Amino acid sequence: MGMKGEYYPGKLIGKVLKIFCISNFVSDMVSFHRLLVVYPWTQRFFDSFGNLSSPSAILGNPKVKAHGKKVLTSFGEAIKNMDNLKTAFAKLSELHCDKLHVDPENFKLLGNVLVCVLAHNFGKEFTPQVQAAYQKVVAGVANALAHKYH
Amino acid sequence: MLSARERAQIAQVWDLIAGHEAQFGAELLLRLFTVYPSTKVYFPHLSACQDATQLLSHGQRMLAAVGAAVQHMDHLRAALSPLADLHALVLRVDPANFPLLIQCFHVVLASHLQDEFTVEMQAAWDKFLTGVAVVLTEKYR
Repeated sequence: MGMKGEYYPGKLIGKVLKIFCISNFVSDMVSFHRLLVVYPWTQRFFDSFGNLSSPSAILGNPKVKAHGKKVLTSFGEAIKNMDNLKTAFAKLSELHCDKLHVDPENFKLLGNVLVCVLAHNFGKEFTPQVQAAYQKVVAGVANALAHKYH
Repeated sequence: MLSARERAQIAQVWDLIAGHEAQFGAELLLRLFTVYPSTKVYFPHLSACQDATQLLSHGQRMLAAVGAAVQHMDHLRAALSPLADLHALVLRVDPANFPLLIQCFHVVLASHLQDEFTVEMQAAWDKFLTGVAVVLTEKYR
């Protein structure tokens, strides 16, 4: 594969995202659970979620599942608003800063975990180019979510 | 500090990699260069020509070092001392790059191993590789 400029992010992302439409495998999307297990300090925001004492407790936790679904739906919106992420996520950004007090570093962690889950689901089809496209999307979402922090 | 369970999971991950060091290592480097192009500055000859033989060879070398780290996970500092010297005095890879490599490593494992690479294994592997990165950059100053 070439590294001399054949990679045009805008065109490739559009094509890639049509193939890997997130909504096709919502039931398998356990990125949120993975975030809380691989990076356990992220649990600090979810004291009200109940039992997070072990990986299996986290996997079975209905609040984790519900929140995971909410987050995934948001990512789906991101794909529809690729050219306008900052506007699309403005309200959510304010919420995460003013009410939820989430360190924006966590958005990067979740984005990386989401990419790992996609790799797990798509196996060999998740080529370096596809990974690059998705890493750009999750980085864009993380930036948009951090944009309104003050 | 690694728990007994984490040690077992790290050994499990290595068992899945062993025998595929060259292939996984080459793909790891390819993903690194594709997803994070700025990392190419640390591999000028390798990233310019992207020669498969060289990628396999360097990939093999890198993963062999990871394998050595797995064998000595309880005394990483001693085992990785020569590599730590190399990184501090010669390579001087900015520490911010190690998480990028680690992310690509998870993606290689997730895409090849799928269900065999469980969430708990990823957690242990991430903790282990982060520890390796700390040791490799410890002598920087």
